[in-house]
Order: sequence, then C-alpha cells, then structure tokens
Amino acid sequence: MSNGLAGLVHDAAVLHRFVDFLEEYCKEQKRSQSYVDASGLFFDYVEKLAQGIKRMLAKEIDRAARFPNRLPLLRRQFLTLKYYLRLLHALLKPAADAHTLTIPAPLIDLASEQIQRVDSMRNSKIVILLTPEFMYFQEPHTRIKEQATIVESFVPDAIFPSQLGFIELPYSQGPSFFTNLAIYHEIGHFVFEELTRMAHPGVQALRSATNSSLKKIFHGRQIFAIVRRIVDDWIQEIFCDLFAIRLMGPAFSFALVEILGMLGFLSRKAAVKFSPTHPASACRFAEHVNMLEEDSWWNAISDIHADQKDLLKRLSDIPRTSYRFYVDDNTLGSQSLVEAFVDFVIPAIRKLVREITPSPARAVKRFQEARQGIEDCLRAGVIPHSPSKNVDPISIINSSFCFCLTSLSDVIEKFEGHAGTSDVTKQSLWTKRLEMWTMKAVEDSQILQRFRTAQSHGLI
Amino acid sequence: MVLSRQEILDRMEKFKVDEEQNLVITPLLFKDKNDIFDADSVDLRLGCHFLLPKTLDQPYFSPDRSSATMLHTRVHVPLGQFLVVPAHQTILGATLEFIKLPSDVSGQVLTKSSVARTFIVVETAPWIHPRYRGCLTLEIANVSNTPVLLYPGRLICQLVLMHIAPANVLKGSDKETQPSDVRFDPNYFGPVYPEAPKFRDPQDDLLRIGQTNVAQIRRIRLKHSGKGWRERSDYP
Repeated sequence: MSNGLAGLVHDAAVLHRFVDFLEEYCKEQKRSQSYVDASGLFFDYVEKLAQGIKRMLAKEIDRAARFPNRLPLLRRQFLTLKYYLRLLHALLKPAADAHTLTIPAPLIDLASEQIQRVDSMRNSKIVILLTPEFMYFQEPHTRIKEQATIVESFVPDAIFPSQLGFIELPYSQGPSFFTNLAIYHEIGHFVFEELTRMAHPGVQALRSATNSSLKKIFHGRQIFAIVRRIVDDWIQEIFCDLFAIRLMGPAFSFALVEILGMLGFLSRKAAVKFSPTHPASACRFAEHVNMLEEDSWWNAISDIHADQKDLLKRLSDIPRTSYRFYVDDNTLGSQSLVEAFVDFVIPAIRKLVREITPSPARAVKRFQEARQGIEDCLRAGVIPHSPSKNVDPISIINSSFCFCLTSLSDVIEKFEGHAGTSDVTKQSLWTKRLEMWTMKAVEDSQILQRFRTAQSHGLI
Repeated sequence: MVLSRQEILDRMEKFKVDEEQNLVITPLLFKDKNDIFDADSVDLRLGCHFLLPKTLDQPYFSPDRSSATMLHTRVHVPLGQFLVVPAHQTILGATLEFIKLPSDVSGQVLTKSSVARTFIVVETAPWIHPRYRGCLTLEIANVSNTPVLLYPGRLICQLVLMHIAPANVLKGSDKETQPSDVRFDPNYFGPVYPEAPKFRDPQDDLLRIGQTNVAQIRRIRLKHSGKGWRERSDYP
C-alpha cells in the first residue's frame, strides 16, 4: 500500500466514524422523541446519506488500491464531503433539540400546510431548529442544496428532500405561542429564496422593476452594485412581512410589535431609521397597515383597542419624508435611495405577494363570524371551539391574540378576583394559559379537519 | 341523579358557553352519536401527552413542593403512534377532550369496560367537581403481566355526570350555598396536558393542624478531610 493510499485510508476511517456517529444520532433522536414531518424527513436523509457514504468509502478505497490514478479524484470528493457534512452537522443538533415538546408543533403544522398553498411551493416543508440567539432566523438553504447536488453525483443513495426549509426559533420561546407567529416572516425568507432559486417570473419582474428604478438614480457600476445589495435586503424584509400578513393576518403584526418592542426598535427615533440590512420599522408597519386595510383585516379589527394596534397605527402614520437611511450609527446614506425604494420598489413587492399567496377574503369573513364565539369561550375559561362547526385555525389565532391583548384582565378578574389583575405572576400565568388553550384549539381544529376529510372521502 | 344522554346533549347545545348550566366536551369525534354516547355516559379519548415516571436518584418519594418536576418525564406521542406501558407500570395521561362542567353537575371518570378487561386501570381519583375546566388527567396503570400498547385518540374512559343537590337542600347552614360558591382550584385550572401533582411541603401542611415538629430525610454529602469522613457544610 502506497503512502498516499495509507493517508487516504486514514481519512476515510475518520469520515466513516463521523458519519457513523451522525447516523446513530439521527436514529437515537427518532427513537426517543417525536418530531414534525419535515424534521423526520431531514433525519431520514442524513441517515441514508451516512449509510451511502460508508458504502462509497469502502468501495472507493478498494478501487483506489487497484487503480492509484483515482487517488486525486477521491481526495477531492473527500474534501467536498467534509465541507458538506460540516454544514449538516451545524443543523442536526438544533433540529434534534426542536422536538414536539419544545416547539409549538400545531403552529408549525399549520404553517407547513399553508405554504403548500403558495404558488410553486407545493412540496415545501419546514424543519425547525432551536437557536441560542434571542431572534428568529431562516437558515439560507441554497448553499446546502448546491452541495447536496454535488454530493449526489458520487453518493447517489440519498436525495436531499426537495423544498426543505430551515427556520430557527429562540429556544426560550419554544413553548409560547403568540410570539412564535414571527416564524411566518422567516418562512417568507424561505419562500423568497426558493422562488429566486427557481427563477419565478414574479421575482424576475420585481428584479427588473427594481433595476430600472435604481438605474435612473445611480449610474456608476460599482455604486449600483452596492445599492442593489442593500435594496435586495430591504425587499426581502418587506416581502416577508407582507407574505406573513397574507397568511396569518393581523396577529402577525401584533407579534412583530411585541418582538421589536422587546428589542427596543420602536422608539420614534429608531423607527424611522433604514439600516443597510433592514427598512425602518415605521416603513414596515406602514406596509402592514396598508396590506391589512386592502385585505379588509383592518376593518375587521376596527373595534379592538389594544396598545399594540395603536402603536402600529402611530408608526404607520409617520410621514415617509421622515425616513432616513443610516449607513452606520452616525453616517447618513442616500435619501433618494429610500425614496426610490418606497415609491417604486415597494409597489412591485406588494404585487408579487398578492400574485403568489391565496386571497385572505374567506379567512377575514370566517374571523368576523367566529370571533365573538371564541372570545366567549376564552372569557368562560374554555378552549375556543364551536359545538356546531369546526372553527378554522386562523380565526382562532387572531381572535385569541386580540382577546389576550384587550381582555386578559377580565378573565383574571373573573377567576382570581380583582387583586389578580395587578399581580405580575398571575398575568404571566394567565397569558400562558390562554396560549395553551389557543394551541390546543388549533390542534383540535386540525384533528377535526382530518376527521371531516376522511368522512368526505368515505373512509369513515 | 345521573344525567341522561339527552340531557348531556341539551346542556352542550342549548346553553351558551358562559351560562352556568353549559357543558363543554370538545373535540367530539363521532360518525354516529352511539359511537361515544351511552344512555348515561360519554366515552372520552386518550390524549397525546403523557408523564412517565422517572427513575429517582433517592430510595423514596416524598410528596412535597419539588415533586412536580422530580417524579415524571414529559412525553408526546402523536396520533398514529403508540406508547408501550410495561407490565405493572403506571403513567399519567390526559383526555383528548377539554371538559367544562356546569355548576350543578359533578362527574366521575371510569375505565371503559373493554379497556379494563385488558387490565389497564384508569383513575384512582375519579371525581370531578362542578365548574371544572380542562383536560382530565388520567392515572393509568397496567396491572397485567404483559406490556400493553396505548394509542392516543382511542376511547379509554367514560364520563358519568350527576346532578348535585339543589341549593335549597343546603338551607339551615350559616349561609345558603349557591352553585357560584364552588371555588376554582387555581392549581388545576384549565390544563390541556396531564398535570403532575402539586403539593405543599409536609411541614407547611402539618402546621395547619398545629404540628410544629416534623421529621424529614435530608441528603448529605461526606468529604474525607484526612482525619476521617465529615459532612460537607456547603452541600445543599
């Protein structure tokens, strides 16, 4: 055996041990916990990949011993594998942590079902990861898919599941419900990335509209490239917000107000600031209100008097002329970039979102019909339900969130007496209860839906 | 008097959720009412969440303030999956259905007879007070000699409902008792998962009856100091 081959055998053994661990790790997770479908698919993929790599290693080392000219090719393949496994390694542990006891599984199931109704996203599935960061993220998957395709060329046993997205949740927020509505924004990032990857005509049209409006203002090639990168980030943020509102309704806006408030982004001064990565909160919320108004959601919640809604309105009323772009904390950027973005790019984003998402008209109508009943249930200390029909999850979530923002103290007073309304521990406990009831109601609604579907197909 | 099927249905359908007489059992999954309603009871399904006993790191269990977290491990078994209950093992489960009892009705949970014949016993504390809200925590014991599979979503127990004595029967006491006087237990209000028991520390309970001297087992740690073993003072 030559020195080169000995080194390669050693490398292969190290890889073998590594993938063997990953395979066992996936099996162990599936044995000990329950996961949403997409996580199960991801673990199955890693398991199959590990088995395929082990077979490939044994076969290729044997061939290399007989044909030493294959050594350079094998070395390159090993490098590719190591890089790819490093990417998967980073995803595997956070995915394993996100079992159904640590995440709001009914909400994830609902979101997965909803994005499958989005144009060109029929096969999409969402793997949830738990992150130590106190923020929601979407893990860009284009690089992983590119690498997966390369690896498939010499490890054909495992095919990366098509349209698999990765969304990160702060581990502390796993058991809560309402703030986790922020995942809809992150799902928007996943959808945008997928549509871009498949060169969706709507995304192409948005790109052309953006280019033509920016080219009128920024002429140099270099400056245009920089401006383009900034605007791409702004586009995604607005797209994701509007996408989330189309799927979830005003509950998403309220959740975002809560989260941005917690992070300190909602003071008047901070709210008008565009950064190189994010549009100003005021601009984002102006788009929220605009979309909610056009979709009739705003009218449907006109009688709700909550601080979050007032703040949303106040921020959206800030005149566009107040928006400022800061390149860093102290340096002002181009004002004409902000103007071009608001005047020409945002209308194109709205158009794209409307094109790819289903109309929420029926959801708004169902919400208006169901809201009173849902609030009555919560006020009576009962999970939202209707004895006569299945209440849909979007109505449950929006009505329950509105109730939580406006009438939590009523329900505390009813069951704990007046003193309970100013008790922080009781407020926290009752918020948790309302969230649990909402989550259970969403889960029950999904069970009833499956039951009715089976009935209509004659299976029952 | 035990509530009949018709009265159960009437209370679910004819009263609004905020009315005292209203009864809630949700979700109700049946093709035909006979699937789950008997003449005098309603069958309930097993939910997806369980508390399994942990192996303790001490040779006893003391029901005290810490017992809510030390005794069990939470497990989720989605619909379509099963849980194996080993022979002679006990677990806590919950009903899939969320219940709200009227203010004039008590309930009792009984093992479904078909389930009981597999030597699975549900409930040793089966009484449900008026105005209770929540999924019912079920103490499930496999008293057979073989492991048994439990499938969430299957019918496991039956709920029998009874009228409580009308308020005027209680006349003669200092104050007339009304259904609205039935207090809510804030410890067990509105659960949707099985609930671990919530205890006060034994000394706090016993102080309520005037006992000021209470025995306790304390865990200690020893450290060898060169002159022999000594109790470590910094060990909690």
